[in-house]
Amino acid sequence: MLETFQNLFAPPRHMILLVIAAWLGLTLAERRTEKFGVSKDDLNNVSFYSLIAFVIGGRISYVLQNISAFSKSPLGIISINPDLFDPIGALAAALIVLFAYSQRKQLSVWSVLDALTLFFAILAIGLGLSHLAAGTAFGLPTDLPWGINLWNETRHPTQLYDAIASSLILILLWRFKPNPHPGITFLTFGALTALSQLFLQAFRADYTVIFNGLRQEQILAWFALLACFSLLEIRIRSANKT
Amino acid sequence: MNRTQRIILYLLILIAGASWIALSAETGEATATGPAPQAGFLAPDFTLQTEAGETYTLSDLKGQAVLVNMWATWCPPCKAEMPAIEKMYNEYKDQGFTVLAVNNTFQDDPFNISPFAENYGLTFPILLDQTGEVSRNYQIHSLPSSFFINRHGIITEVIIGGPMSEALLRTRIEEALK
Repeated sequence: MLETFQNLFAPPRHMILLVIAAWLGLTLAERRTEKFGVSKDDLNNVSFYSLIAFVIGGRISYVLQNISAFSKSPLGIISINPDLFDPIGALAAALIVLFAYSQRKQLSVWSVLDALTLFFAILAIGLGLSHLAAGTAFGLPTDLPWGINLWNETRHPTQLYDAIASSLILILLWRFKPNPHPGITFLTFGALTALSQLFLQAFRADYTVIFNGLRQEQILAWFALLACFSLLEIRIRSANKT
Repeated sequence: MNRTQRIILYLLILIAGASWIALSAETGEATATGPAPQAGFLAPDFTLQTEAGETYTLSDLKGQAVLVNMWATWCPPCKAEMPAIEKMYNEYKDQGFTVLAVNNTFQDDPFNISPFAENYGLTFPILLDQTGEVSRNYQIHSLPSSFFINRHGIITEVIIGGPMSEALLRTRIEEALK
């Protein structure tokens, strides 16, 4: 079954899973957006502009980081290769546009992020499945009965772990009534995602060691968790004041 | 839950998280040791011949950065990226970069290969995968597929599909040459 799935969505077709997840996520987010005080139009507009910024920002950031290569081949800046892309720069650009749009429309950024939380949650599931299809984000070798055969070893199905953890977070967010205080829903999602990554990264084989064998990805997840807890506390306090 | 209870909960989770990080810490190589067609792994070795009968073995090229490009004459993106590959080969070969263009001969017409190479003025070795063994070992699902391999024989990047632009080739070659 895994082999059929991997053949069906072998790279570059694994990107289809992300597109399906994005479409499904936006559809579901649209259903609940008004509970967070954001209209469907605003949600669609902010998603559209942020997506454009994500694509353009990812390319610009990549070009800036590899300026010597692009100065010799300037046409490469507009080439269709999806591999000329920096996801961190893309995220930063999308966030900047999201902030700018919210300011312009006098919307609370926290409310917009809350409205988009279901989109992020479903995208996280899609990301896990696309990693499974591509064989990336692979796990450490294991003897456990649920290990999958990948890259000539039986390995932890870390991509499935990610997809399952993201699904559980989605179910949790879906079952609970949307929190009326701006930011709580998004930060709860952020904290749960950071916590799941902190735990699951231990089973990944493609990690980066920073010092004393500590994995960079887990350290980043720990700081993301700390940031989410701090912001959650600030948001809860400001909600209690009002 | 009041504020004190929440903060205690946050602290407990953060302490448990830090302990888990320490517990799961490891030393040594982050990547696997065996060969596999994936970034971070040793590139699967192969020995193939050119049409002229010259033999090339991938492992003999250790110390050089290698681009293994899987292609076929009927594949439009393979055709589209060949001029850029040729240009980069000429630009970087003196720095220790080489290209092994593995033709999927088992899915191609062998009589088209020489005219193709002449038409595009290709000077790098074109190897013939007549049995499909290399294609199977590299788990090729799409053409073109490109594997950038560093001087230690480790795959640094896999690019599925094409055509690759000059800029993309440049960034990946410079990474592999480091």
